[in-house]
Amino acid sequence: MTKRWLPWSAMALLVVGSLAIAGADGGGERTVAGRVDAIAAEVRCPTCEGLSVAESESAASRTIRDDIRRRVEAGESDGEIRAYLVSRFGKDILLRPEATGVSGLVWALPVVVGVFALAGLVVAFRRSRARTAVELSDDDRVLVEQARRGR
Amino acid sequence: MNAAVGLGAVFLAFLSAVAGVAVLTTGLVRNRPTLLRTGRVYVWLVLGGAVVATLAMQRALLTHDFSMRYVAEHNARATPTLYSITGMWSALEGSILLWGLVLAGYLAVAVRHFRHRAADPLVGWATVTGLLVAVFFFGLMLGPANPFREVAGAIPVDGRGPNPLLQNHPLVAFHPPMLYLGYVGFTIPFAFAIAALITGRVGEGWLVETRRWTLFAWGFLTAGIGLGAWWSYEVLGWGGFWAWDPVENVSFLPWLTGTAFIHSVMVQERRAMLRVWNLSLLVATFSLTILGTFITRSGVLTSVHAFSESAIGPLLLGFFAVAVAVSIGLIGWRGDRLRSPGAIDSPVSREGAFLANNVAFAAFAFVVLLGTVFPLLAEALGEDKISVGRPYFDRMTMPIALALLFLMAVAPALPWRKASGDLLHRRLLWPAWAGTAALVACVAFGLRGLATLAAFGLGAFAAAAAVRQLVLATRRQGWRGLIGRTNGGMVVHLGVVVIAVAFAAAQSYGHRGEFRLSPGQSAVLAGHRITYLGVEDKQYANRNAVEAMVRVDDDGVFRPALNRFPFAREAIGTPSVRVGGFEDVYLTMISAPRTADGEAVIAVVVQPLVVWLWIGGGLMAVGTLMAALPGRRRRPTEPASATVPAADDPPEPVAVEAAV
Repeated sequence: MTKRWLPWSAMALLVVGSLAIAGADGGGERTVAGRVDAIAAEVRCPTCEGLSVAESESAASRTIRDDIRRRVEAGESDGEIRAYLVSRFGKDILLRPEATGVSGLVWALPVVVGVFALAGLVVAFRRSRARTAVELSDDDRVLVEQARRGR
Repeated sequence: MNAAVGLGAVFLAFLSAVAGVAVLTTGLVRNRPTLLRTGRVYVWLVLGGAVVATLAMQRALLTHDFSMRYVAEHNARATPTLYSITGMWSALEGSILLWGLVLAGYLAVAVRHFRHRAADPLVGWATVTGLLVAVFFFGLMLGPANPFREVAGAIPVDGRGPNPLLQNHPLVAFHPPMLYLGYVGFTIPFAFAIAALITGRVGEGWLVETRRWTLFAWGFLTAGIGLGAWWSYEVLGWGGFWAWDPVENVSFLPWLTGTAFIHSVMVQERRAMLRVWNLSLLVATFSLTILGTFITRSGVLTSVHAFSESAIGPLLLGFFAVAVAVSIGLIGWRGDRLRSPGAIDSPVSREGAFLANNVAFAAFAFVVLLGTVFPLLAEALGEDKISVGRPYFDRMTMPIALALLFLMAVAPALPWRKASGDLLHRRLLWPAWAGTAALVACVAFGLRGLATLAAFGLGAFAAAAAVRQLVLATRRQGWRGLIGRTNGGMVVHLGVVVIAVAFAAAQSYGHRGEFRLSPGQSAVLAGHRITYLGVEDKQYANRNAVEAMVRVDDDGVFRPALNRFPFAREAIGTPSVRVGGFEDVYLTMISAPRTADGEAVIAVVVQPLVVWLWIGGGLMAVGTLMAALPGRRRRPTEPASATVPAADDPPEPVAVEAAV
């Protein structure tokens, strides 16, 4: 019995170890280009539908990208740059809805519904296990026997 | 002429559908088998009307009959033949006609398939339901979405031609019809579900009848979505394939609920559980196809697909509401018969895994639906205009997608009813090692990003689990082992894993750059040398193009272009892609040089594994086909679910196929 858990613990160790290495390596100094890309990916292209400023090559997108780059180089924080874009284009320029106010609902609702669904699932499992087994009569057993002999 | 014939044919189809509903309903209510047998003739009349209307439309498009408004607005003398044909689904009215044709086709095939059971009330009510849907769509064509309306005033000399994006790539001939074959295909299982509720025969019979119909509809929808992603990659020029655009989302929604259904339906066939849930999933899938059409066609949400907007929005929304209300009413009415006799013994079992799968797919669909319509909700709640885009969908769907990959790895190894630890150990050990090895190798090769690494590891785990099943099945049955629902399903799983891994890699490890180059100059991006050689002007029938010649590494010259179409304000780019097994180099021309030796601006996107998205899609299609072919028949006396022996191993589930 103990032997069975050996390979699984080894696997768990390897998985946790490699994820830890990958996670620790991910950080480091953020470059200007990296920050510009990260912000641009969450800004909507004002003239095309459904694309971010990072993906789109339209003139408006390039202007906004250059603007973001200038502001990053001037030392503004990500939050300041976003606030500036909102003041200039309106809230819907950001592709990631805010986590506060009405738009917070879009983040919270799936979590709430998910928790309820999982709770429902647990209750369903519990209840169906608690249900007493069906009583088999002798007639039922005979029927099953006949069917099995018939194969 | 074309308009008169077309409109007459639509009228014929509409009247036949109405008459069919009337005759069949009378036959069903008064219990007259003869009426039921004659009633289905009307389905063939509907099909006849739809075919004639389609032919009239095609004739008008091919002969450039500009007396018809639809042709004048979506066709031109210079439009190439292929794009004249596809013009039928380049805008709203023609798309509804395509919908009507596909629906009539499905109904006719269904009526023929069940011809020996025409007097069966289940088949009768299903036909009535299908015909009612046909009444709605052909009614639309007689009213606000009339494709055969004539132009007001003088007949124009030339038309405006299709939207430039829709006459730019041959994929436009395949993506919309595939999608519609998928959308409309769900009408048949939906019709049988309604019929089962009306007749009270809510057992498993109707499910077995419609299983293959559902599978085909699902396969077409999968292919349609995949081709749409491919079209987006080849035409739109941003280097991506999935933008979480509202219209992509609404085509994805019925796919999610449909996928949940084809899994959970197995629990009902096997253990007679989840009846209400399965009915709800089918109803949801059908109504989401209607909602999808509403969102595509009403313009409530702006999208790249808003090729046409019109006043049929409220009608579609009304039809959606009626379909949902009637279905919920029927499910409530039959509530007592829908109670399931079975019970789930243990969450660690096949049925438990299917249930978890369904919760995950339902959550996925909920997130996508909520994110898509949330800007409307927020506005209704008095909030400022907001956007919900890729950052939201990526963040919210990623954990669900990883959970689904994990389930895909574990579930095929689980037996029905209950699994023992020993059994799990034996069945999962080497797939789990495959996943671990993949993860360790990726980290060792320097790949970073926790979610992406998790996708790779779980993907390898799931792929190994699917391969294990297939190996066991073919060892037992030879090539026959690849056929049938369980093992065809494993091939589909392999396709899903390939897509998931390619998607994660392309999203995480792509590079973008934009270069201003004079002829002969080079730039380097992600190890690829891009050399701009010059431009060429080309004249085509429907457009003028400026093509840049760009050498990638030393592999040949690629030609990203800028096209000018008549009636289009802006130039439309055509990307050019160097496709590779490991990575794609994707080129677009942002601006053409003013003079022959001036500077051109070339955008370059380097993304790994993109080609595997299309290969994975093909694998899913092949798997679906294999799953639809009949597998080994299970003897009716074989116990549906084995009891769990204390020490012994229950038979592997691979070889067992439900009788069809």
